[in-house]
Amino acid sequence: MIKIAQLSCGTDYSGVQSEIENAATAVGGKMVYPDVDMEKINAAVEKFGFNPVSPQLKLMIARAMSLAEKRYDADAVFIASCFRCAEAALVRTELRKFIQNNTRLPVVTYSFTERTKAGQLLTRMEALVTIVERKELLARERQVGLTAGLDSGSSTTKAMIMRDNQIIGKAWTPTADVFSSAERVLAQALEQAGVKQSELEAIGTTGYGRFTLGKKFNAKLVQEELTVNSKGAVWLANKQKGEATIIDIGGMDNKAITIRDGIPDNFTMGGICAGASGRFMELTAKRLGVEITELGALADKGDPSKVKMNSYCSIFGIQDLVTSLAAGNTLEDVASAACHSVAEQIYEQQLQEIEVRQPVIQVGGTSLISGLVTAMEHTLGQRPIVPPNSQYIGAAGAALLSSGFLEGR
Amino acid sequence: MKVLIVPPNSLILFDLVERFGHEPLSVMGALQERIENREIESPPMNITVDDVKKGLKYAGIEVPSGIRGRLAVYGPLIDQAEAAVIMEDAPFMFGCVGCARTNEMMKLLIRKRKIPILELDYPENEDEAKAMVAKLKAFLEGLK
Amino acid sequence: MTADHQTRYIVLAPDSEITPDQLARNIHALGLDVVVKETCFGVVVSGKNDEVKRTVNEVRKLDPNRIFSKVRGFPVGDQRRCRAHKGSRPGFAQLEKEWKDLVLIEKGLQCAERGERPPECKRPSKMPVSDLAKICKEECR
Repeated sequence: MIKIAQLSCGTDYSGVQSEIENAATAVGGKMVYPDVDMEKINAAVEKFGFNPVSPQLKLMIARAMSLAEKRYDADAVFIASCFRCAEAALVRTELRKFIQNNTRLPVVTYSFTERTKAGQLLTRMEALVTIVERKELLARERQVGLTAGLDSGSSTTKAMIMRDNQIIGKAWTPTADVFSSAERVLAQALEQAGVKQSELEAIGTTGYGRFTLGKKFNAKLVQEELTVNSKGAVWLANKQKGEATIIDIGGMDNKAITIRDGIPDNFTMGGICAGASGRFMELTAKRLGVEITELGALADKGDPSKVKMNSYCSIFGIQDLVTSLAAGNTLEDVASAACHSVAEQIYEQQLQEIEVRQPVIQVGGTSLISGLVTAMEHTLGQRPIVPPNSQYIGAAGAALLSSGFLEGR
Repeated sequence: MKVLIVPPNSLILFDLVERFGHEPLSVMGALQERIENREIESPPMNITVDDVKKGLKYAGIEVPSGIRGRLAVYGPLIDQAEAAVIMEDAPFMFGCVGCARTNEMMKLLIRKRKIPILELDYPENEDEAKAMVAKLKAFLEGLK
Repeated sequence: MTADHQTRYIVLAPDSEITPDQLARNIHALGLDVVVKETCFGVVVSGKNDEVKRTVNEVRKLDPNRIFSKVRGFPVGDQRRCRAHKGSRPGFAQLEKEWKDLVLIEKGLQCAERGERPPECKRPSKMPVSDLAKICKEECR
């Protein structure tokens, strides 16, 4: 059982405590609550250097101190507070940094509302547990045998066939029905590889549809996309050693993951507002009357400073877009501004939650939109690496990691 | 009389209010009813999404859910209260009383009720404790 | 508090000469239909409202100014708040602090009992700016 230390304020009174515990239990984890002595609370707050007015936040600080000083044993840390509470947001962020600087524990933060459900927390909790529990598997650098990876994402489904550390087949399709989309891409990838499904030695599944596909295809590996994608990314970018940051702007949510020697050690996942998502890029392309594949090149020709666009919400974002087109701005400038709007939000939201380590590897279907990579470059001050087949990270990671289950190899 | 205590979980205030002949209204009492009488939907406190929505009676949607959830528990106590004792600067208030904003809001809601209120400081020494008990006793006896 | 059932802390002030064990035995001797569990501060009792209240009233007589009581939200040993599963309850530190300060309340109760006039207590307020200005001027001379 992986022990996830909970540092939080407001969970019981927002009615979400049981959702947190259910999410942890569902992935083989257990929420634990570091014990602190009354005498140690004030001393911990003083040592930390931020004295919040709300007492529960002081308790959070004392609990974090207990973990940092190894007076309490846990495998991972979950820091949560109410959405819209300014004081708690400051403490939450600073405690995350404190835990990262003073322990080797993976940590994830979350700001919840009363509507937060276990399902929303599941991927984060699963990733925390995977990082702790499957360190050995995550350390795998080479794919062996004949394996397939299936990535059932919110927008697209991808399949990849690998043999002896080489890609021999790949295919993708927009996600409709989870199973038939996967069946279709797997058949195409197998055909390209020239092998039969029955010859596959292992299958790995990831993404939103991983559980359904895992059952249907009798997968050896069924794993969340945070750890799988990061493995796929470092394999595709050939950056298995040293440090890196993976940025994956997905159809519905964004991920930023830090890596040390190919093993993810921290991550953040956004997804409350769609203004910084692949879906927003699709809406932009549609409104501009271009294919999504043409959007990047169009944006590269534009000047983002000519158009004001920075909405967290995809609907308001499109409203801004319509207004700026009506004001006579060019398609190029508007496309570029849309890409910058997404990049800025990734920077403001995700990249503030982790320590950005160079090189930055940008992956996922959105990394094929060159204008978005340019926008990330402007935001970060350095152009991210986009590896070949960057949209296949999930499928590549799943094929690579599932080969870890092949006996003796 | 029903006397609401603030902090609503204070041992000292609960005991003294009862000792001097009144019924203390406390968060423990409210939670005991919530925990033992109903089917548990949302452990540990059994505060559900619906409760947090009820908190909208006291604070708007822009207010964090933890404040609205806490106010949903305190609200009925405030509505029932015939008098209140508020003790400022109480130490180590975690959990139910862990949110400073909620605690301030609770005091405002009590003050708006126009019921008899005694405001005290948490005693830091023997003399302050003597003065506090005397004030509290006089206040509570005056309510009879 | 439910309609007919409640759980209560009965807390012994730190300077009480009664031990939690003695307190529990005294409660058992009352022959009331309550469940008693010893804690480091005293006992937790649960049962029907009137039985629990009678228990509190009776045991208070043992040492009136050093035995205190309050209702407890969760039943004894409830898994949702059990220390073994959840670590210390968030309310524990406050209870511990108030328990330590019961020696002060005891003095307050004795004072009230004797009908003494309590001492005037005024917490020091911040110095008026004019006074501070005066000091500054003097220091700068």
